[in-house]
Amino acid sequence: MGYGMVIDQQLCVGCAACTIACKIENNTPVGFNWCDKITRTSGKFPNVRYEYISTMCNHCDNAPCVAACPTQAMYKDAGTGLTLHDTNKCIGCKACIVACPYGVISFNWQRPHQHWAQRDQLAEGCFSPREMLEESGGEGSPHGNPERGTTYPVVRPAGSVEKCTFCDHRLLEGLAPACVDACPSGARQFGDIDDPNSEVSRLVAKHGGKGLREELGTRPRVIYLRDYTPQRRFDPFRPAGEDQGA
Amino acid sequence: MNANVSLRDFATPTWILIAVGLVAGGAVGLYEMFFGHLFATNSALVWTLPLVTYIFLALMSTGISLVLAYGLIMKDEAITRHTRPLLIMAIGILLGGFTALATELGSLLNMVWILLSPNPSSPIWWMGTLYSIELVLLFVKLVMDLRGRHGVFDLPLAWGTLVIAAAAAITIGAVFGTVIGRPDFHGAFLSVVTLVSALVSGAAAIVLLRPQSTLTEAAGRIFRQAALVFAALILTRVAYEAHSTVEGMLGWANIFMLVPFLVAAMLLSLAPRLLALVGILGVFWVQYSFIITGQLVSLGQMAHWYGAVQTYQPNIPEALILVLGIAVAAALIKLGEQFLIARRPAA
Repeated sequence: MGYGMVIDQQLCVGCAACTIACKIENNTPVGFNWCDKITRTSGKFPNVRYEYISTMCNHCDNAPCVAACPTQAMYKDAGTGLTLHDTNKCIGCKACIVACPYGVISFNWQRPHQHWAQRDQLAEGCFSPREMLEESGGEGSPHGNPERGTTYPVVRPAGSVEKCTFCDHRLLEGLAPACVDACPSGARQFGDIDDPNSEVSRLVAKHGGKGLREELGTRPRVIYLRDYTPQRRFDPFRPAGEDQGA
Repeated sequence: MNANVSLRDFATPTWILIAVGLVAGGAVGLYEMFFGHLFATNSALVWTLPLVTYIFLALMSTGISLVLAYGLIMKDEAITRHTRPLLIMAIGILLGGFTALATELGSLLNMVWILLSPNPSSPIWWMGTLYSIELVLLFVKLVMDLRGRHGVFDLPLAWGTLVIAAAAAITIGAVFGTVIGRPDFHGAFLSVVTLVSALVSGAAAIVLLRPQSTLTEAAGRIFRQAALVFAALILTRVAYEAHSTVEGMLGWANIFMLVPFLVAAMLLSLAPRLLALVGILGVFWVQYSFIITGQLVSLGQMAHWYGAVQTYQPNIPEALILVLGIAVAAALIKLGEQFLIARRPAA
């Protein structure tokens, strides 16, 4: 049993719904995202190419961050294959950030969401951010998702790293990660990638696919299927009025 | 304790400078630990001048330990006669480095936790463990020297210190060398660089801080040889980087880095303390360069936040952490000199 994700580049529309869903689900602070993107522009006009590659922790089998962490705060969960992080053991050395070849681990230099602790009213007669927080009963921010707290602190402490957990709190409930549910085009599929009969394994078998920077030997559990190939290209020399397609 | 020390001994320009450094750097360190973030860092450039300070001071202390261990093993009286001052220097400089590291980690407790939740696959864990052992060994040797207990344990302790200090310096290089995704770090080369730079800066520190004719000659000899080896290493790296086509490699070495080592090695006898300082600054330049350059290329999604390649300039709070590390080391060395050097071993 080992969870994995496939992202079909031919289906991904680059809407960033995954990024937003992750931010809401996991209460990530202002300044970084667990789920983010790499964009690449290549070629020469008119044959230019733009790629949008959605990124997150790859939950590598041979995870450099786990090997580099001096206190076992970053660890592999044997039952699920997930790369998880224990904030109680994290000493803030940032070795995992330097070791990760994907740039998907972030550090809380300051206490996250701290502006919600302010007692100053925004305008006379208004709630202060602190009062709004107390009124909502939220943690960190009024929108803080308490369900996140079942496996990882709702607000990660200052001096600690944090990263994608594949929404392990949702997996315990039998749900898919928030980014998978939010994807409007079904580009993301999630499941037991160690099971050859699972949907994700079948997709990999059908389309091939590869992880990011596989040459480093990290054995990532996020697999990208099919490079995006536009069905029709814009042709500036085609007569005006002719359908340019998409 | 040396009974002859009085308050007047602290009213000196050196102690005033040290006090200013401790107050200014200490204020920044305490603010960073308890109130807010002041350093010029981000999630893609995480190890900056405070960590460079730790590595610079830790390796310098290692170098002093190596020179002392060499003297004890080879029975070089020019070195062994100064055992106590050298032990005080090594301990003071190492604790200065640890102070800078504590501000970088945000808490003193975090440094202890490394030992309590070990991960043997992590070079940082080995680095922390080896430097802890080295510190204990240095204290044991100092206490034995203060009590005048010399004998059968001297040689095993010297060998132990030599092995631990060399391993610690090599492990610091491995912290960077085992990073697979950053070409400016990856490889065994940095372990050689850290080991040799430890010897260069340690020997130079002895020449600079302990100007005694025979000791300067002995430490100067080690410094000259190590500086030439270091210059050869830098030249090798310059040649490698000039021909490298590795994607994402910026290159941290440049040909001008050879100058301080060649000049200091060849002209040391003309102005030993000044040229030792030049050698120390050269080592700092090299260490700063490889630590910072290795992180400047943003990986993956970080390029969106910080650009494909970052620039870095230390800010004033970071510079004050460098001052703090040096001030702590200087204070401990001065305290050791004032309270412990004049004391005679028990009969």
